[in-house]
Amino acid sequence: MIIFQCEDSVDGIFSAVYDAWDSGLGHANVALRLQTQADLELFAEYRMVPTDADKAKKVARSVRAKMGMDAYQTIWQAALSADPGKAEHIYRVLVRGMSARTPATEARRLIWGLQDKDVCRIFELSRRTGNEARRYIEFVRFRELENGVLYSEIQAENQVLPMIGTHFADRFPNEDFMIYDVGHNDCLIHGRARPWFILRDTRPQPEAGERLSEHEQEMQQLWRNFCRSISIEARENRRLQQQFWPLKYRRWMTEGQ
Amino acid sequence: MRLAEGKSIYEKLEILSDAAKYDVACTSSGVDRGGSGRGIGNCSAAGICHSFSADGRCISLLKILFTNECVFDCRYCVNRSSNDIERVAFTPEEVCRLTIEFYRRNYIEGLFLSSGVLRNPAYTMELLYQTLRKLRQEYHFEGYIHVKVIPGAPQELIERTGFLADRMSVNLELPTAESLRRLAPHKSRQRILTPMRQVQLARRANKNELAVFRNAPQFVPAGQSTQMIIGATPENDFQILSVAESLYRKFELKRVFYSAFVQVTQDALLPSLPGGPPFLREHRLYQADWLLRFYGFEARELLSEAHPNFNVFLDPKCDWALAHLERFPVEINRADYDTLLRVPGIGPKSARRIVRARRMGSLDFPDLKKAGVVLKRAIYFITCSGRQMYPLKMEEDFILRNLLQSRETAPAETATYRQLSLFDAGQMLGPVPPQLLQTGVQ
Ligand code: SF4
Repeated sequence: MIIFQCEDSVDGIFSAVYDAWDSGLGHANVALRLQTQADLELFAEYRMVPTDADKAKKVARSVRAKMGMDAYQTIWQAALSADPGKAEHIYRVLVRGMSARTPATEARRLIWGLQDKDVCRIFELSRRTGNEARRYIEFVRFRELENGVLYSEIQAENQVLPMIGTHFADRFPNEDFMIYDVGHNDCLIHGRARPWFILRDTRPQPEAGERLSEHEQEMQQLWRNFCRSISIEARENRRLQQQFWPLKYRRWMTEGQ
Repeated sequence: MRLAEGKSIYEKLEILSDAAKYDVACTSSGVDRGGSGRGIGNCSAAGICHSFSADGRCISLLKILFTNECVFDCRYCVNRSSNDIERVAFTPEEVCRLTIEFYRRNYIEGLFLSSGVLRNPAYTMELLYQTLRKLRQEYHFEGYIHVKVIPGAPQELIERTGFLADRMSVNLELPTAESLRRLAPHKSRQRILTPMRQVQLARRANKNELAVFRNAPQFVPAGQSTQMIIGATPENDFQILSVAESLYRKFELKRVFYSAFVQVTQDALLPSLPGGPPFLREHRLYQADWLLRFYGFEARELLSEAHPNFNVFLDPKCDWALAHLERFPVEINRADYDTLLRVPGIGPKSARRIVRARRMGSLDFPDLKKAGVVLKRAIYFITCSGRQMYPLKMEEDFILRNLLQSRETAPAETATYRQLSLFDAGQMLGPVPPQLLQTGVQ
């Protein structure tokens, strides 16, 4: 067994897909794993795959062409998941979908086949990652800093920043904003009227996030008051509130503290 | 007028959000609109919740009254003119600033602006129009706006306002004309339905216009909604659901909201509710409403003159299935989408997944679980390749007993709680961002 180890990123995983496929060792004799995965297997040979944007691009393009946009998006979202085994599941699904023996019509439907364990897993991971990203589209809270920048901190389980950047850039085209994912140590950065991007392994200066603009406290107070006064006492139901709004999100939010 | 002077923005927001909270519509759904790049904001058709208040309801919009002053005296309303409360009003500028500053911080999806009747309907509607105009044209706000139509305002003014709003609503308030006469002496069924029809016709005209001129301004693109108060008057569920059904059909409404009557004023004509507000009833109505809109049910399939009220113990779909056992069991690998939808425990999402997945091979019970079917409810009503999951009796009492034992799911599927999307998460987030078409992170 030859194990291709890769970086935990979409590019990294796709590079490993490329190399494993290209190795000619036979799909049964190779496996993919993230370099961050701890448990090593004893009787296997490891090959570290350097992340290669060109190879990743080729994989992405071919998958879109043969398996369709829906399948690609599902796989793309699964690749951002926190699941340690995702690279291997993605490889298995691609082996089936991209094999020359699989006719195009079947390849396009492959991702619907919940009967297959790898497909099912990819679908689940994709759904979970998508749901979390959606939660952050709802729950990100910006505070306005002295310099006018809107700043937010989140702690996501999966790598959600690539999935929410477009939404916020479209919404706030003329704002400078930054979302820092504390858990992954990644920063989503958007400058006024410019495209957004992500810096990995970057921590903003801690004090910078504390220098608030003149009206920030006032707005936060108004918002907290609003959240209180909009609730109907006769309907109070904390259990329900908690179910929809879990504590792990709340602690990062203006009105949740 | 008796508006208090010199109130701070804190006090105004407190009073005017408190007075707006009995309007239960909170959704920001119905329109997909990307930002133009020149202003601030966009809209997502599925709607986005931003927070949850202590009553478990979703907070999506800055929901406020422009003023709680009112010349009318509706008996069920806190703002009724005979109520002795403090009266304040925002200025258009204040509403705009709050909306923009909340929006920038991602607190909200937009504005829900309602109002008591200040002086007269035309004067009030003009104030709402001015506020929206400022917000759209001076602040370049492109997020969601839901605005109330004040019945009795001139048609031309309502139309001008509709070109600035995403959703408009006129509240039906009470299910029948008779109840309205009793409890809202200044309103009449006619006065409420007239603007509703106007908005409907203006939307149709606008659609034709848009078909010809793609860049024509849009009129109320997210459609109309309305609200009925439940339990303040003696109508039964069948009457209420039938009214809702005809509002969907004849007035092309997007949503009908139901609001369990909460006693906020004292009035001899209001019922006393020793058991508290009828929340369970409201919940059943939302479930049934859902069945009308997404499951192809009709009101008279669910209720009748002989059985005019919902079963408090069982949700309307299970209740219907039990009364129609002759239609079951349904074979998962063959039944069409509409038939699958009628099985308890199967919803639009899981039905769609089943229809797709079985093109790849036949499905068995474990696969159904993966497709999101709630098996503990569905097993009585389905077979996979001719087999039941366990040998179960197709017998009403037996099934009823078992269904009653399994706890009902939370009211998540309905109403004013979460805004649920009918699509899978992968599709919910829209297409892959263009700069990521290649791979992951730049
Ligand atoms: S018109 Fe009736 S329901 Fe509306 S605010 Fe005035 S009293 Fe309340």
